[in-house]
Amino acid sequence: MKNSMLAAAFSLVGLGLLACPWARADSDTFMDLRSIPALQGDPAAGKAGSATCAACHMQNGISVVGLFPNLAGQHAEYLYWRMRTIQQEARADSPMTALLADLDDAELRNFSAWYASLPPADHSDSANGAAAHASEGARIWNEGDATRGIPPCQGCHGRNAEGHPLAAKAIRWRLVPVLRGQHADFVIQRLKAYRDGSHTLTSSARMMNGAAANLDDASIEALAQWIESGDSM
Amino acid sequence: MSAANSATRGLTQRTLLLLWSALAMLLACGQAGAQTAALDLAHFLPATSRAQATSPADSPAAGFANARVAVNPAAAGATPVGERMCIACHQLESDHFTHTFHALGLHAASKTDASIPVCETCHGAGSLHAQDPTSQGLIIGFTKTSGTPIAVQTATCLACHEGGPRDHWSGSVHQRNQLSCSDCHNPMAKFSGEGLLARSSINDTCAQCHKDVLVQFHRRSHMPLPEGQMSCVDCHNPHGSTTSPLLKTNTVNETCYQCHAEKRGPFLFEHAPVRENCLNCHTPHGSNQHALLVTPLPFLCQQCHSSTRHPNDLQTPQSLISGAHPDERLIGRACITCHANIHGSNAPSGPRFHE
Amino acid sequence: MHRQSGHRVLLAPLGGLLLLAGNIAHADSGIGVDMWRGNVLDPRGGADSRPLDPRGTSWLSPRQRRSPSGNLYLCPAASPEQTKLGEWLFSGSLDIGFVGVSGDEDNALWNRYADWEDGFILGLLQLEFLRPRDGSYASLRASRISDDDAYFDAMFGRAGSYKVHAFLRELPNALSDSVRSIWNGVGSNHLTLVDPLQAGASTSGQVGAASRAAIERQISVNRSKQGLGFSIYLDPRWSAHADVSNEQRKGARPFGGAMFFNFPFPDNGGILETLRPVDDATVNLNTGLRYAGSKWRLDFAYSGSFYRDRYTRFDYEMPYALSPVIPGAVSAPLQRGQFATEPDNDYHNIKAAITRKLGNAGEFSLTASLGRMSQDDSLIAPIDCQGVFGIGLGGSLQLGPQNPFLFDCSQWNSNAALPRTRADMRIDTSLVDGRIVLHPLESLSVRAGLRFNREDYRGSWLAFNPLNGAYGYVSENGAQGSVVPGEVGFWYPGAGASNLTRIRNLPLDLQTTEATLGADWRISEGNSIGADLVVNRFEPGNREREQVDFRRISLNWTNRALDWLTLRAKLSHLRQSGDRYNYDPYEFTFSSSLPGFVEPEGGVPAHTVDALRKFDLASRDEDKFSLIATIALGDDMTLGASLNGMRNDYDASLGRQSYDTHGGTVQWDWQPNPRFMASAYFGRDFSTLELANVNDQALDPDPSLGGPTYPLDAVWSDRDRQRNAYAGASFKASLKRVAWDGNWTWVNARGSNNYAFASPSALAYFSDGSSVPGNAFPDTRYRVNAISMGLRVPLGERLSLRVFDTWARGRFEDWHYAGMDETRVIEHRVYTDGGPRGYRNNLLGMLLQVRL
Repeated sequence: MKNSMLAAAFSLVGLGLLACPWARADSDTFMDLRSIPALQGDPAAGKAGSATCAACHMQNGISVVGLFPNLAGQHAEYLYWRMRTIQQEARADSPMTALLADLDDAELRNFSAWYASLPPADHSDSANGAAAHASEGARIWNEGDATRGIPPCQGCHGRNAEGHPLAAKAIRWRLVPVLRGQHADFVIQRLKAYRDGSHTLTSSARMMNGAAANLDDASIEALAQWIESGDSM
Repeated sequence: MSAANSATRGLTQRTLLLLWSALAMLLACGQAGAQTAALDLAHFLPATSRAQATSPADSPAAGFANARVAVNPAAAGATPVGERMCIACHQLESDHFTHTFHALGLHAASKTDASIPVCETCHGAGSLHAQDPTSQGLIIGFTKTSGTPIAVQTATCLACHEGGPRDHWSGSVHQRNQLSCSDCHNPMAKFSGEGLLARSSINDTCAQCHKDVLVQFHRRSHMPLPEGQMSCVDCHNPHGSTTSPLLKTNTVNETCYQCHAEKRGPFLFEHAPVRENCLNCHTPHGSNQHALLVTPLPFLCQQCHSSTRHPNDLQTPQSLISGAHPDERLIGRACITCHANIHGSNAPSGPRFHE
Repeated sequence: MHRQSGHRVLLAPLGGLLLLAGNIAHADSGIGVDMWRGNVLDPRGGADSRPLDPRGTSWLSPRQRRSPSGNLYLCPAASPEQTKLGEWLFSGSLDIGFVGVSGDEDNALWNRYADWEDGFILGLLQLEFLRPRDGSYASLRASRISDDDAYFDAMFGRAGSYKVHAFLRELPNALSDSVRSIWNGVGSNHLTLVDPLQAGASTSGQVGAASRAAIERQISVNRSKQGLGFSIYLDPRWSAHADVSNEQRKGARPFGGAMFFNFPFPDNGGILETLRPVDDATVNLNTGLRYAGSKWRLDFAYSGSFYRDRYTRFDYEMPYALSPVIPGAVSAPLQRGQFATEPDNDYHNIKAAITRKLGNAGEFSLTASLGRMSQDDSLIAPIDCQGVFGIGLGGSLQLGPQNPFLFDCSQWNSNAALPRTRADMRIDTSLVDGRIVLHPLESLSVRAGLRFNREDYRGSWLAFNPLNGAYGYVSENGAQGSVVPGEVGFWYPGAGASNLTRIRNLPLDLQTTEATLGADWRISEGNSIGADLVVNRFEPGNREREQVDFRRISLNWTNRALDWLTLRAKLSHLRQSGDRYNYDPYEFTFSSSLPGFVEPEGGVPAHTVDALRKFDLASRDEDKFSLIATIALGDDMTLGASLNGMRNDYDASLGRQSYDTHGGTVQWDWQPNPRFMASAYFGRDFSTLELANVNDQALDPDPSLGGPTYPLDAVWSDRDRQRNAYAGASFKASLKRVAWDGNWTWVNARGSNNYAFASPSALAYFSDGSSVPGNAFPDTRYRVNAISMGLRVPLGERLSLRVFDTWARGRFEDWHYAGMDETRVIEHRVYTDGGPRGYRNNLLGMLLQVRL
């Protein structure tokens, strides 16, 4: 008798729990981006509303201030999830927090689609050649540094910093940003943030936490210079 | 049922005492023995072509100190990069790997000698993979899409794990069917209590392919595999053996005698099919009859016995207790109610197994 | 009577041996048993006790990868929380709680390998210590459901150096819950009748009443095992291992007892299903030395096994009186029957294997092994009686020439009646196995092997009684000779000179020679095919055939070319044949081979029908196929399927004629994320075994089928069909921190037995031929439906509560036990075990899980 009452109580609890959705990840802490869907957005609508963005990121998505990153030609999924992360983190010291706070999901998608559709900066006159190739930044980019445990960035970011080689095949690789020609100041700021553990909200950030863990300031500086140079191997 | 166990428990306690004291002594000796490492035995060995890569026996993780970077024919120009670079991208994998047995040994060894590889012991030199991770085969991978040929995968594991139970791997049925070590084992995390298996138990690992055998253990009579008291590997050696069904001993009967030693005999009066092969009457994975028999009594015996007098009559349900003429040759244990010592009798009056 | 101290004495020198050996090995996948410790509560031994890591396997990909055969790897568990204790890292957990079972708690099928007791249980204790500095570790795992259902497993060692392993394991095995015993002393070797039954003087009615009055109880055999083992690397190439285990079995099980027939002689004989004691111990020892170098591998091993039984014999009281078939005569008052229990035996085996690597990943290996199985237990007397046994003519039990069928117990009831007092039996085994694998091309491998295995049966027994010059034995505890004159079981000159009886043992030498040849061709990385030829010659001694050969050709194909499918297929054909089948090679074991044997009137009856073929030696054709497929359905689902079949056709007009099986399973496995996984399976298998036999109609020397002894109209056949279905499903889900799991198992097995006969002469009872409707036995059914649910709720940082419930229903029908619920005693037949029964049980448990 007692057993069946306990069994009944237990099944009620179980059924109650069944009613709760179980497959959704917790939204107030960690964001698992490994199975994101492809981004659907309207570039025209994004263009229409991008006046505010253009103030810093320029109309063509190629900014002139070192701390404001180039957005043109960046993967749409990267842009979208980066903006979602900024909204989630809501860091007081970031200028983007206030700017993104009131945007809804559709607007984020449209902006991402718009900036992704813009042509990236022209690097045809960039410093290709022996000097660039021999620089410390290029060395770390191509081979990493086994003695310090720094992996070669080209593994994910592409031989010429053009993004992951499989970006066209699998959506999650579009979270790996195109870095060619990106501003050095911005890159330095981001790499230091990953290394120092202040960006851990997404699965991609966790990847970069590990990749950047062993970088010292000098290596970060060298890498950023090489990236900004737009050099191609 | 429990009342009769006090004698057993007393014996258990005494045996335990003896075993534990032996263990304590052994531990003391074992430690000493390890240090005096009987390298003299090396002189009795046939000459080998590999340089004697010995290490002091008391160095941390002695066996792991011999770890070397695996050879990957598809990445001939690769150089080792070290564990830190691997972890930079594969932190989560490393987090799980750290709690496995391989990590325990490799980390202890590489702390003493930084030239001892960790990840690259199994995955090969990583420089080419680090630069181009999307090209398959530049690193030795053990998954379906890794691009590493099965032969390279198994050769990598066997570089350390050759011999012993894996002595007959080459030419074994699993090897011939293009199985890789990683079909059954996954040393990257601790999924099972022992054995670094791909599933949480030996039985679950075998069930990935041999589910049709595992379901037979749900029949009326079966050995305690589903109950977790036994595993497939108690009788079979999946790595290869000298027998066709991959037995761990020389014959079927010797395998059975490991737990059923009372059937070994030899008896004064033998029952020929028993001496020849237990599987003449029993089916080991499960049966709908009692005691794992192939077919019900009396028909089991009537496959071979047709001597005059009483074994070869055809019985009908009328010979059951509920029938018109109950007959002891059909009811309950049927033939073996009288011929009870059916596996063989050691009684001088037992030629027909009545005693 | 052998005392159990026998094996304890054995352990002392073994301990010394271990000290010398220095290092200990545990049972591994190459040698020994005891590979797993778990119980019904958790068959996986704690592997599932940690929640899964919500982060998954890798930041680089969302799902699990697949093994080369296509099976998904599991999501890894969350890393254990470790505490630093000096140099050591410690992690552990303790699950303790309560269980309660309601329903058929004593049911033998429910308790088959578990011993649930309401009350406190130790669900699991897991402790692990690691020392990263040098790779040392120690771990412990224990669980206790009850006294008879518990295990303890501990090991310590240093990674890459040595390992010591010890375990204790109590394994219950309930055999029956419906035992009604008319004897006292169950579990001992002396069964006495319950009051008011008198030995040799009770009526069927009295015995029936005692059986009905007996309380129904459960009997079981419980195994208690202790093991200790170790392994060590002596240097990077040499390793040594040893392990010793001691297993005691204790309990009782249904057995038998022969005091002659009841079916032809109303109110006569005794068919007694007694309960025999099981009280023995087995010590197993495995030890060896291994070498693995770059060119050579060596493996030297010794295995020993020592079985000691507490009892040499057991005896039981016979309730019934016998009466002879001669009018006016009287049977001797027999009161007891006896059995010899299994003899204490020893087993030794040494093995040496040497492997040499050849170029191109080739290998040659040679294994040689010598063994000995021996027993020299003391022999029991031919009969357990006092006074006289046999038939007293004219009602007189006085020995003398006027009573030729009455015999003196004192000439048979001691081991003075035996040619020797100990068994002295031995089998020597030898094995040589050589195999070679070559790779003439990188994609082609060729292999060949030769194997020779011989068992030499050394031990002969001629049953001669030095006290009176008789040959043979006393049949059925003296009962047969006390009912039918001339059937006492031994041959003696004069009145017994025509008695046909066994006088010798049957030495069974076995020799097998086998040659194999095979090749595998890896057509591409995704496709490989192979072929094998096995030629085997089996030469048994003293059997119907001197030489039995089989040839087996197999083809196999592995296809991994498509990225979503792995297919493995195998086809084989075997043909077995042999030399001339001699239907009676056993004459030398019978008294008809004695010089003084006098042929009875009508001749010696045929030993058996000449057309019967014993299936192990019969000529047969066997075809087998098997298919295993693993199909990847998307990124997170796998479908596994297998199909197999076997067809065996025996070239036999009598005996086993065919044995066919076929079946298949489908299993599905889904792991969308670390928070949820589900799996399900369904399987069906079928088997059909057909046999034929012939009922004898006369005691005639003619053995031919179609003759007077075995006429064609007495031929009958039987078909046994098994049809089984299995299904199961399980899931594991976690919602925030609450974890929920469930499991369902379903089995539906059906066996049916159909027979046919040429005429009612084939039947045991002629009248059945016209009166029995149908030609089938009632189906045997075994059905199980079990469902379990569990919930784990965190109560705090270190504490969580697990509540689980298992509901199970089992239904069982087996015609062997039909009618046993009404009565177990029919005339002079006494049945004790009423057979397995169905059950409907619910197990509710609560465990508090503490992270230590």
